[in-house]
Amino acid sequence: MNSRTSILSLVLLMTPALFGQAADSAEPQLSPAERSIAKAQDMIAKQPGYVPYWNGLAMAYARRARETSDVAFYGKAEEAIATSLKLSPNDFEAQKAKTWVLLGRHEFAAAREVATQLNMRTPDDVTVYGYLADANAELGNYKEAVNAVQKMLDLRVGNIPGLTRAAYLRELHGDLTGSLDLMQTAYDAAPFNETEDRAWLLTQMSHLQFLMGDLKQSEMYATGALGLFPNYHYALAALARVREAQHRYDDEVALLQQRYNDAPHAENLFSLGEALLHAGKTEEAQKAFARFEKESLGESGIGDNSNRELIAYYVDIAHNAKKALELADRELAIRHDVYTLDAHAWALFANGQNAQALEEIHKATAIGVKDPTVLAHAAAIEARMTTASATTPAKR
Amino acid sequence: MKWHPATRVLAAGLVLLGTLPANLPASSHREAPITALDQKADITDWYAFVSPEKPDHVILIMNVDPFLEPSGGPNYFPFDPGILYEMKIDNDRDGKDDVTFQFRFKSEIRAPGVFTGFVGNLLGIPPITALDGPGSEGLNLRQSYTITMLTKGGGINDLTGGKTLYAMPTNVGPRTMPTYDVLKNQAQYSLKNDIRVFAGTVADPFFIDLGAAFDSLNFRQAAGGGVLDLGTDLDDFNSIAPNSLAGYNVNTIVMEVPITLLTKDAKIHTAAEADAVIGSYATTSRLRTQVLRTPAGSTPSTDTSYAQVQRLGNPLINELIIGTGSKDAFSIDVPSNDSQFASFFLDPLLAKIFASIGIPVPPAPRTDLLPLVTYAAPICPGCKASDAGPIADLLRLNTGIPPSAFPKHLGFLAGDTAGFPNGRRPVDDVVDIAARAVGGVFADSRLYGTRIGDGVNSPATRVPQTFPFLSNAYSGRDSVHQGPGQPGCNRNLTKICATQ
Repeated sequence: MNSRTSILSLVLLMTPALFGQAADSAEPQLSPAERSIAKAQDMIAKQPGYVPYWNGLAMAYARRARETSDVAFYGKAEEAIATSLKLSPNDFEAQKAKTWVLLGRHEFAAAREVATQLNMRTPDDVTVYGYLADANAELGNYKEAVNAVQKMLDLRVGNIPGLTRAAYLRELHGDLTGSLDLMQTAYDAAPFNETEDRAWLLTQMSHLQFLMGDLKQSEMYATGALGLFPNYHYALAALARVREAQHRYDDEVALLQQRYNDAPHAENLFSLGEALLHAGKTEEAQKAFARFEKESLGESGIGDNSNRELIAYYVDIAHNAKKALELADRELAIRHDVYTLDAHAWALFANGQNAQALEEIHKATAIGVKDPTVLAHAAAIEARMTTASATTPAKR
Repeated sequence: MKWHPATRVLAAGLVLLGTLPANLPASSHREAPITALDQKADITDWYAFVSPEKPDHVILIMNVDPFLEPSGGPNYFPFDPGILYEMKIDNDRDGKDDVTFQFRFKSEIRAPGVFTGFVGNLLGIPPITALDGPGSEGLNLRQSYTITMLTKGGGINDLTGGKTLYAMPTNVGPRTMPTYDVLKNQAQYSLKNDIRVFAGTVADPFFIDLGAAFDSLNFRQAAGGGVLDLGTDLDDFNSIAPNSLAGYNVNTIVMEVPITLLTKDAKIHTAAEADAVIGSYATTSRLRTQVLRTPAGSTPSTDTSYAQVQRLGNPLINELIIGTGSKDAFSIDVPSNDSQFASFFLDPLLAKIFASIGIPVPPAPRTDLLPLVTYAAPICPGCKASDAGPIADLLRLNTGIPPSAFPKHLGFLAGDTAGFPNGRRPVDDVVDIAARAVGGVFADSRLYGTRIGDGVNSPATRVPQTFPFLSNAYSGRDSVHQGPGQPGCNRNLTKICATQ
């Protein structure tokens, strides 16, 4: 699960489809988010001073950002929120939307602060607990995240956003079957016409089956997601991962190429480059990596970036250890989740700072995560330390 | 409960509604968003009073699942086997549970091919005259239940004692259930420890002009717009405004428990002794999904712990006092943590609303409301300051005060000390009493004694003075709800549809 699929997907899952009821009769070719956007715009045109419509528009844009992976929609969401807050400075729903966009922008500490204030104002709001959970998970405060999600599930038994967050936390803590159980429960409870939500859930189940080593099931879920929501970029990536494991590298490349075509973002280029390497297309891979580096560096300074992929690139592909560590240090200042700790450990290791790397990777694995990349990094660092204790320190 | 956009919109709508003063005296019929979305777990009312039948026993009544339309078949109103129903008693004034009664229900479908839950005098099936054995053939949907008593220190006592306890079905109508009273008698069980129990569907005894209350306290002119004249106020039997609960059924669990099973030292105390007073409340809970399983990988995903959906102690607190944005947080917490909600009742919004319409109220902070949430006089005259305990929403009952021969609907306010807020009986007009408490009657009845009231003074049916102290469920066949804008049977001279 990369940075975008982990937190953002959880945040955006089941965003309030304020206009979802009326949207049923909208044109079928529109996505759920597009229908919500159209409906909100229509309502705003009729009654531009009504704050809930602007809040609805903001949430619809943010949902569209997940559907398309196009972060420009966050900008549009922010504009709508600004209008809401201008009309009604203390509007609770607008503040919630603001929190949610802060999360999307990877401003986790700020999001946590706003969510904490909103929680004090209205302790019954389940969504705010979700935001608290998301911010705390990214900041590495897993205990607080678990408490917040537990509150969600206690307040509303079986609510889907609570179930998916609990599933994610179970996964991070190494309970993959438990995570799958909850994703399945969420899927069973998801409304039939929410095709993107259901596709997202199937993609998560594909991901979990992959982690458990069941490629057949993983493929089934990913294919199912693509059937529900054609060309769904998360599902394309999930299926590509299966193809890689099946050594069907050309298929992997094709899927990731399609994914990049539909969601042209830097981190998607990185996985495409890796797939091209798998397929032996070195020259094309180099081109993809070069473009990735350029685009990723371009967004590196903003919150919503592809720095973790860039760190992996500098360590594993470009062998620029110094640059990798510089980026990892910067990313660590923003968040302390398992995957950021892992990236930081890997960058430290590449720079020969093995003791620090070991300490950092142990922090990453402390909660029991079973992600193969993290575990492989941990094994490599530990092996080196074992060797080093027997011989002299060796620089990677 | 599933969380999907539609319910979110509904929840948002309810929150908006809740910000209006209209969300006031609704007893507890769907008062908090969480319970409004989980009707089966919605505790409508909680009663505790010394039995007029056996004054050494206490009657505990927990009503759930509001607004059951008597004709609302085909499967009617079973208890939810997924819910743990509990009655809880604090007997040492620390706000914590000392004695707990747990009820768990089980459903059986006895004739899967039959189209309806209950059938009788049809298709060769005899009328339903028994809950089990001959005469019970038409009870297609039947529920049984168990009772467990927990005591502080870990004592667990199965009160069911090998019996099968059947829940009383609703009153479908005379063809199906021609001897409903007989059935009701069969559903009353004597258990060990001198306990009696009844569970099933009954006529809802609660009474209120809900429509007027929800229309931003737009009470009827006949009811003085919400301030009653003396004659109306003193009338314990007749109402001058419509009772919105009239004609609706509710599910109930009733227990008759010896006082000695509830007090700290297993003794009966006089009213002047602090140990005569118990605090009580009811809860509904559902199986809890634990975020993290211990150990990871254990099954099933949901463990055996429960998440509390709702609690109800004093009818006053959650409905009139707790802000809507905190009602769910209140519902899922325990009474001993209620100091976190203290600000709500030391300066209640409802008092400000009263003040805004010219009703004099005491200034905040409203320490006069503290006796309702701590152990103190007048309910506990034997309590010293050190006996007050934490702020906790418990229905406090002085078991040393004998039952009234002639209960007054205004209970304590009318000098009938066996009535609310000393415990609560079905005849207690908690809407009027609670509103007046917020109005400040306990601070100074001369200064703040406005006769606030909705004009509904008694239950829709005469409440029996024998166990289970609740009236038979309305017959589905013979009940008709006539709504506004529904002219009824125009061909009849009376314009009213005949029920016979």
